[in-house]
Amino acid sequence: MKRTKGVSRRDFFKTGVFLGSGLLTTSCSPRSVEGGSYDLAKPENILYSACLQCNTGCGIKVKIIDGVASKIDGSPYNPYNLVPHLKFGTDPKIVSKIDAPLCPKGQAGIQTAYDPYRLRTVLKRAGQRGENKWKTIPFDQAISEICEGGLLFKDVPGEEKRTVTGLKGIYVLKDKDVMKEMGKAVSEIMQAKEANKKKELVAAFKIRFKDNLHALIDPDHPDLGPKNNQFVFMWGRLKGGRGDLIKRFASDALGSENAHGHTTVCQGSLYFSGKAMSEQWVFDAKDKKVKWTGGNKFYWQAELENARFVAFVGANIFDANYGPTNRMSRLMQSVSSGGLKYAIIDPRFSKGASKADRWIPVKPGEDGAFALGVIRWMIENNRINAAYLRNANKGAAKKNNEPNWTNASWLVRIDNDKPQAFLRGEEIGFPAARKQYTDKETGETTPYDYPLMVVMHGGKPAAFDPYKDDSAVEGDLFVDTVIKGVRVKSSLQIIKEEAFSKSLDEWARICGVSVDDIVYIARNLTSHGRRAVADLHRGVSQHTNGFYNVICWNTVNALIGNYDYRGGFIKASTYNYTGDKTVKVKTPAGKEEQKTEQPFNFKKMAPGKLSPFGVSVIRHGVKYEDSTLFSGYPAKRPWFPLASDIYQEIIPSIGDAYPYPAKALVLYMGSPVYALPAGHTTIEVLKDVAKLPLFITIDITVGETSLYADYIFPDLTYLERWEMQGSHPNMPFKVQPVRQPVIPPIPETAKIFGEEYPISLEAFILGVAEKLRLKGFGPDGFGKGVPFTHPDHYYLRAIANVAIEGLTDGKEVPSASDDEMRLFTECRRHLPKSVFDFDRWRKAVGDDLIKKVVYVLNRGGRFEEYEKAWDGEKVKHKYGTLINLYQEKTAKVKNSMTGKSLKGYGQYLPPFRDVTDKPIDDEKEGYDLVLITSRTILHTKSRTATNYWLNAILPENYVYIHQKDAARLDLRDGDAVKVVSKSNLDGVWDIGPYRKPMTGKLKVGQAIRPGTISFFLGYGHWAYGANDIVIDGKKLRGDKRRGQGIHANAAMRVDPVLKNTPLEDVYGGSVVFYDSRVKLVKA
Amino acid sequence: MERREAIKDIGTIVAGAALAASLDLAVSTEAEAKETPEVSLPGPAPDEDVIITMQRDLLKALKKPLKDRKWSMTIDLRKCIGCHACTVGCIAENKLPPGVVYRPVSEEEIGASPNVAIRFLPRPCMQCDNPPCTVVCPVKATWKREDGIVVIDYDQCIGCRYCLVACPYGARSANSGDLYTDGTPHREAYETSPTYEYGRKRVRKSHFSSPVGNAMKCHFCSHRLDAGMLPMCVTTCVGRATYFGDVRDPDSVIAKVTFKPNAWKFKEGLGTKPSVTYLL
Ligand code: SF4
Ligand code: SF4
Repeated sequence: MKRTKGVSRRDFFKTGVFLGSGLLTTSCSPRSVEGGSYDLAKPENILYSACLQCNTGCGIKVKIIDGVASKIDGSPYNPYNLVPHLKFGTDPKIVSKIDAPLCPKGQAGIQTAYDPYRLRTVLKRAGQRGENKWKTIPFDQAISEICEGGLLFKDVPGEEKRTVTGLKGIYVLKDKDVMKEMGKAVSEIMQAKEANKKKELVAAFKIRFKDNLHALIDPDHPDLGPKNNQFVFMWGRLKGGRGDLIKRFASDALGSENAHGHTTVCQGSLYFSGKAMSEQWVFDAKDKKVKWTGGNKFYWQAELENARFVAFVGANIFDANYGPTNRMSRLMQSVSSGGLKYAIIDPRFSKGASKADRWIPVKPGEDGAFALGVIRWMIENNRINAAYLRNANKGAAKKNNEPNWTNASWLVRIDNDKPQAFLRGEEIGFPAARKQYTDKETGETTPYDYPLMVVMHGGKPAAFDPYKDDSAVEGDLFVDTVIKGVRVKSSLQIIKEEAFSKSLDEWARICGVSVDDIVYIARNLTSHGRRAVADLHRGVSQHTNGFYNVICWNTVNALIGNYDYRGGFIKASTYNYTGDKTVKVKTPAGKEEQKTEQPFNFKKMAPGKLSPFGVSVIRHGVKYEDSTLFSGYPAKRPWFPLASDIYQEIIPSIGDAYPYPAKALVLYMGSPVYALPAGHTTIEVLKDVAKLPLFITIDITVGETSLYADYIFPDLTYLERWEMQGSHPNMPFKVQPVRQPVIPPIPETAKIFGEEYPISLEAFILGVAEKLRLKGFGPDGFGKGVPFTHPDHYYLRAIANVAIEGLTDGKEVPSASDDEMRLFTECRRHLPKSVFDFDRWRKAVGDDLIKKVVYVLNRGGRFEEYEKAWDGEKVKHKYGTLINLYQEKTAKVKNSMTGKSLKGYGQYLPPFRDVTDKPIDDEKEGYDLVLITSRTILHTKSRTATNYWLNAILPENYVYIHQKDAARLDLRDGDAVKVVSKSNLDGVWDIGPYRKPMTGKLKVGQAIRPGTISFFLGYGHWAYGANDIVIDGKKLRGDKRRGQGIHANAAMRVDPVLKNTPLEDVYGGSVVFYDSRVKLVKA
Repeated sequence: MERREAIKDIGTIVAGAALAASLDLAVSTEAEAKETPEVSLPGPAPDEDVIITMQRDLLKALKKPLKDRKWSMTIDLRKCIGCHACTVGCIAENKLPPGVVYRPVSEEEIGASPNVAIRFLPRPCMQCDNPPCTVVCPVKATWKREDGIVVIDYDQCIGCRYCLVACPYGARSANSGDLYTDGTPHREAYETSPTYEYGRKRVRKSHFSSPVGNAMKCHFCSHRLDAGMLPMCVTTCVGRATYFGDVRDPDSVIAKVTFKPNAWKFKEGLGTKPSVTYLL
């Protein structure tokens, strides 16, 4: 209001002048005395870090005013934000005045850290599981109770007499030598093929280890491992650093085989098809034999800066997909300049589709059929990159200037009309090569026979070593013949036959598109040389057939030959922080040697490290047939020899005690109840104290899963903690963004090993380690006299490793100048000693290294220069080796539920299957709509509902339906509808204490394939601050804004065979989001 | 332009009794009193991010007298990905309370499947050259600055909301004084962290500190311009759809992208003469 001289604001209030006036609700402040400078641009108010509002982890620039994060912007140092990013050497003082883009979640991250519902101290359950009644207890007490066990819940009705086994009682086998020997013996048992032989070995095992049998879960089944395995650690979003600490704790120190991630709830089958396609035919030092091993759990993505045509398949590019800031900056640049055209293959018309050249609403789950149609067209029209595909080994790739090679021309044995293993040279008279393995550590050498592979070359068989680079072997691509009585086909011939098993018309019909759509994609993908690519994501992989869908599409890319090319299919590249990376160095004698160059090799800084063994609770990485539990088909639950981190299997397997019961579960930064399809099924197990005796979570607030915990440890958010963010496969630059504490911690402080640190994941781990005297932690944790008593001792050293990488070539980072050193401490003036103590940091790495560490931290990580990522038409950081179009290892695996052998190539499999491969045809019972999910850029699954700025833009999600379906069902825009399915007839979330109907508003439109409905993940919370909670007898009111909208995961199909688990891809491990048929009921 | 002239100019707009107050106002809302910011940029490099080029353009423009600059914004709708980064960036930068948004992005679905599209329309204040909002203000608390920005003096504004009604673009809203964390267990400090609108650092001391109760609107982040930085919605535009600068500089990015056959102005027929151009 207009200023009135001589009347202060307070007087105004008192006189109540404006109360009577509808107009005057405003300030009457005298001239400001606060001054006018723009504090948000001052270098001393800015810290650089990495976002984690989603997993992309863009660079952030956090602007701190009076100790409070006031604004978050994108960091111009980081290639995730600016294109091209600034030179690494740019002075932070200059950069303070340059802001770079950041997606809305990134900017709203302030509200994740400063959330009124954050936990500050440990909560212990004061009611039944799920009742949401808690008491606060001191950190030390919580650690003691968890370690010692006892009558921990005697005050809770029904649990008066329940004795909980503490971690002390689970951490049974402590002798590292015994554990190692047992592990070796168990591996022999598992490798034994005959049942009788296995029995003999088990009997021998029992005699040999008679003094330690008490430490086993079941001495009759030593392959279940030690009781230590009954400690299970699982996590949701986890990044480098914290991940290494968890491993150090759960595996190396506690000796458990059960430390599992969440990969399969994201895009597991994308990762594990990548693994299958990257397995290598090499000598395995552990097993002392040549085998397919060393496959990377990883995937490739499109390099968008240089691509000319991209087919985005099941990839929600504008809203998600690793991620908007980095990918859209590049995509829109090329699209607007006319350099790039793209298509969206997705049943939903995503935002990305609105700028696409074509939207192809494929049927959910039929992406493999589409790809096979493309492959057929490419082969039929001679549009495959035959010259590239003919390269059968490294020598040929080298000769033809290719960065990698495939096994397209390799010959596969055909027995009973079925492709088996690759033909070995020996089978047709080419002797194996003699090779020698040299142990890097000991220098010890082992000679071995190396079986060669075979191609046909100009009609003659030729045997070869795939990795020999001084002899080029090329092979014919389409071979179907008999050599010395052995029927063989080339890999590509097998793929061709699969693609030709149906006509284009048939493929188009299966996937619900037109032939023209398939031809359009195939033609465009083959019209731009290597600069055309199919970019795949969850929409392809999260189906019961996801593994094969991905392999089919990856095959398309291989036929283009775009791997490792600019504008093609590339992999991520990061600076190493674990200190075990080896580089080639020349010894004074002129010999080449592999050596580490970084100062802290954590692998070697692990005194007393245990070597866990045994089948995991999720039965990963081993074949059912190899275990002593084998008893014919189907197995009780599926086994996953080709996958790991099978999130959806952890809790139901604990529930079924298969392969064994668990005693304690720790959950970090995950919410399986909310995030998993049919997540409600986990609640039954989590509520049951008999099946899960001790359940601990580490969470920033009481989320949908923490709701069932016995103890909740508060955690630090991404603005308060350390992590090594790593990279994603769409990024050609070598990077290592570092997440560091930028604001004072919100949780209370704990004292562990005499040092202070905020209660957090690290505090939990160090606290338990102190209590149980675990090896690898404490005053000698990193070796004699090298303490690990504070998290800084780990993180600062990890950063020193990042800074030093490249030392051998003089490419380590520079040291910070005195000026930068000053800026460094000044920027951290608001941080308490528990997290920032310059002296402690300096001591952790030493006086020389601290300046390099500072150089990295002043920039929020290490980032390669823009120009350095390219190598002519290729990218510099290459995958660079054999790509398996035919996967022998896969072909040797049997489906544990059917006993049928898997196929080792991109095959067509229909979606909507149960674990025994039987079709689920709920549509016959009137479930007429396929439910799929999607993401808005505003939310990241379970964790951003607390961000009010984001909620303000879209307070509530909706169920999106096509107008045709709405008309058919007599539903209107805005109607409240309930989602019901065959496995959730009531359409409710059965939360335990109460039931929450799965109701949302309908949005009717054209932007989806008819017959399909969709909703945005991230809404419809019932915990996470959305509802009342009782702490220390006091009710804390929930905030309804956080619970708006619908979360329809509980309508997703429960597997009819397993009954407590969502549908899953038994090959690649993915949990299935998109193969559920539902009905909408007017609510 | 000399400071004294600025004062005089405004004096001619502001009616007699308000003159005294507007003298102060001239200082707080005009960029003139500020020194040229000390910003040095890396480059120029041929392929640098357009955000850097535009910031360089901005620094150049700041060297000119205020009256010779004409700030303009051009939004390329072909590049807008509807990410709302600008919306949230602006809310966070200016600590906008619930209900106040300077730059919403509307989303509209058009067509029938499979020929569908979603149209995104970022809607900042149009900074009209002929603004219908300023003339209705009974206390002359809002006017068009010589460099093109339509400003509000929070200390003059009486919160009558006439301007809210007068703006045909809905670009103005009223500050209720609420905070997002009101009614939760803890009112969070970031919400009352200082703001810098119009180059004035303001700390909210109570529910009644300006700009609570005032009309509020986008001001092209004039405080950032003063500091040699682009508006928040420009630096954070993920699609690089938002161009900004002094359109009178023929060498600037903004001048080069704006005058195109596909240029379009929102509700141009009203005669408002927006400084914001859209490219279709
Ligand atoms: S894309 Fe993900 S990581 Fe990047 S700013 Fe947005 S939320 Fe943060
Ligand atoms: S930030 Fe840019 S791309 Fe995103 S909505 Fe705003 S104008 Fe569009």
